[in-house]
Amino acid sequence: MSALSKLANVDSRVFYWILFIALMVPFLSPIGFPITIAENTRDLYEGITDDEVEEGDVWIMNFGYGVSAWPECHPSVTVCTKALFREGAKIIFMGPHYDVELTYNKIHDTVRDDFVDKVYGEDYVFLGYITGGESAIAQLASNIRSVYPVDHFGTPLDELSMMQGVNTHEDIAGVLSSDTGDYGVHFMTQWQAAYGSKLAEIGIAMNGSTDLPRWQAGNYFGLSIGSRGGAELEILIGELGEATTAMDSISVSHLLLIFAVILGNIGMVVQRRSS
Amino acid sequence: MSQILRREAVYAFTGIITILMILEYFFWPTPQIWADTIRTWAIIVFNISLGLGAIRLLMQQSMNVQKRRENWQYSAMLLSLFVVMLLTGFAGYFATGLQTSNGIYDWLFINIYTPLGATLYPITGFYIFSAAYRAFRARNVDAALMLIAGCFVMLKNAPVGEAIWIGFATIGNWFQFTGQIPGMRTFSIVGAFGLMAYGFRALLGKERGFYAGGE
Amino acid sequence: MAYPTAALDVIGLWIGWVLMLMIYSYPLYKENPAFRTAEHMFIGVTLAITIITNFSNVMKMCVTPLMQGNILMIVPLVLGLMIFSMLIPEYQWVSRYPIGLLVGTAFGLGIRGTIKPNLQDAIIDTITAPTSGGAMAWLNFLYVAVGLICSIMYFMLTFEHKGMLKAPTRIGRLFIMVGLGAYFGNTVLFRFTMLTGRAQFFLQVLKLIPM
Repeated sequence: MSALSKLANVDSRVFYWILFIALMVPFLSPIGFPITIAENTRDLYEGITDDEVEEGDVWIMNFGYGVSAWPECHPSVTVCTKALFREGAKIIFMGPHYDVELTYNKIHDTVRDDFVDKVYGEDYVFLGYITGGESAIAQLASNIRSVYPVDHFGTPLDELSMMQGVNTHEDIAGVLSSDTGDYGVHFMTQWQAAYGSKLAEIGIAMNGSTDLPRWQAGNYFGLSIGSRGGAELEILIGELGEATTAMDSISVSHLLLIFAVILGNIGMVVQRRSS
Repeated sequence: MSQILRREAVYAFTGIITILMILEYFFWPTPQIWADTIRTWAIIVFNISLGLGAIRLLMQQSMNVQKRRENWQYSAMLLSLFVVMLLTGFAGYFATGLQTSNGIYDWLFINIYTPLGATLYPITGFYIFSAAYRAFRARNVDAALMLIAGCFVMLKNAPVGEAIWIGFATIGNWFQFTGQIPGMRTFSIVGAFGLMAYGFRALLGKERGFYAGGE
Repeated sequence: MAYPTAALDVIGLWIGWVLMLMIYSYPLYKENPAFRTAEHMFIGVTLAITIITNFSNVMKMCVTPLMQGNILMIVPLVLGLMIFSMLIPEYQWVSRYPIGLLVGTAFGLGIRGTIKPNLQDAIIDTITAPTSGGAMAWLNFLYVAVGLICSIMYFMLTFEHKGMLKAPTRIGRLFIMVGLGAYFGNTVLFRFTMLTGRAQFFLQVLKLIPM
């Protein structure tokens, strides 16, 4: 077997080690490739800023991602939270993952400066963990208190000034759902399709392919796709952060993958010719 | 009678719930209290049912330890950690209403659960690398099209693609915003039809796959 | 988040770092006791968290209102407990009722919710001709329209794909392959971003980059 044909059968662990090390190099020596803004990301940003958001509007921010997807979703969620707070909107934080409290604590860290003048119960609330799939989201649209009688810390919703008079989809100005799974789709079918609620998806890149047709059809007013979307949002708000830092590492890993694919195909062609 | 209770009554119960949910949407402009009640009950039952999987797993791991099966030591460690976490969590919950108020539970949650959870899922990144290397081969027209689309989208997603040649971003954008739309939209449409067909079959009692046990 | 200074927090950080390497020993080397240990630790803590979190949810949504006088809440509590009959072989049929409630609600909500976004809006967007953008917009419109029709025909498995159906279903398959290729490209971004997060954590704990 010639050396070239062996390219088709390299031990995978070789690639794993190269990848593991290559991912770290750009953090030690940043490169800084320019990033262009996609239309779907711009629509998302424009939908949560300026005339689209009025002071006092209540928005839902769904932390539909766990700690493993923080690098994918959290930068976009950070930018959206900052944007909404700066427009004077109030935010209800909630999520269907067991570690939603950790994500809530992390948003306090990444949006530190904007939380300084915000008061819990008046400007934002954390309702906590939700489960029940589509039933829970559908019920949330019709009666928030039946799903969340109290917030995450045990305070009845009626004792929170922000939640007085807020109980159904009619009282919510918009929903930003950040997902690794189905909750964004549940919000689409049970909120946007049923009541015309304003909805945007801050999704993982894997869902980007299925979410793009929905954005084009108007089900989402905006869409952020993975860490790339996060980097674009950071540029739009003018505050570079975790996503932009990660883009160099993403570039290196993608180039490595393309290189591996080319290598594999060369090996395959050589093997075919020799046989 | 017992046969009716085990089969027909179950299908009728499921069918009635399905029909009520559909009727509420098409015949009333606002959510109805009886539908709210059904949905709230479903959420509560869903929460309780998640405990079933946990209990089954615990039973299996306990059996491993009891019968000293192969690698029983791992099961023993699993059960020990489970007990510590459960007791400290309940201690925190019953003391303040918040399980994370217990220091030990909180520490284990942040320093054991979080790094493990954050690491186990990204392991698939390695496998997608080897999957692409081994399977992404232009063996025929179909595979070649898939390969080309995948490569251009990857080069569009990574900022380096645009830096090497602007065409990567242009063509990648076309694949992203137009090229993939027919395929992806097909999955949504076909999936919607499939869900409706499956739902109506469940309504008529012809889908029994999710009913456990017995005849 | 700054690098922790409290001793317990620093120890916890390093334990997390070691656990990460124990997990990565599997792809980077081979299956080994370190990986098994970390895997079982994760299952143990996750089980406990699952039980506690759902218990507290049930208390909030069901038991507390029941104690406060909402007698109807006894129904979901009983239905939920009926699910555990699955553990007793001769009474497994009892669990069909709570499953029926879950399945019925899910199907009902799913059926009513899927029609507008996945059918109506998708089809309207496909057949809506462009109003601007010139020749390229029209080419894209025709591409999507023809592609969608051919792709849906590919999934018509009631008829054999021969004769008049052969060409459009073959074309539909090509459109689907393009879609899957793009989906793979996006999946790669997702998976590598998660790995990037771990690579960053690896360096942060070693203080090679700021936290």
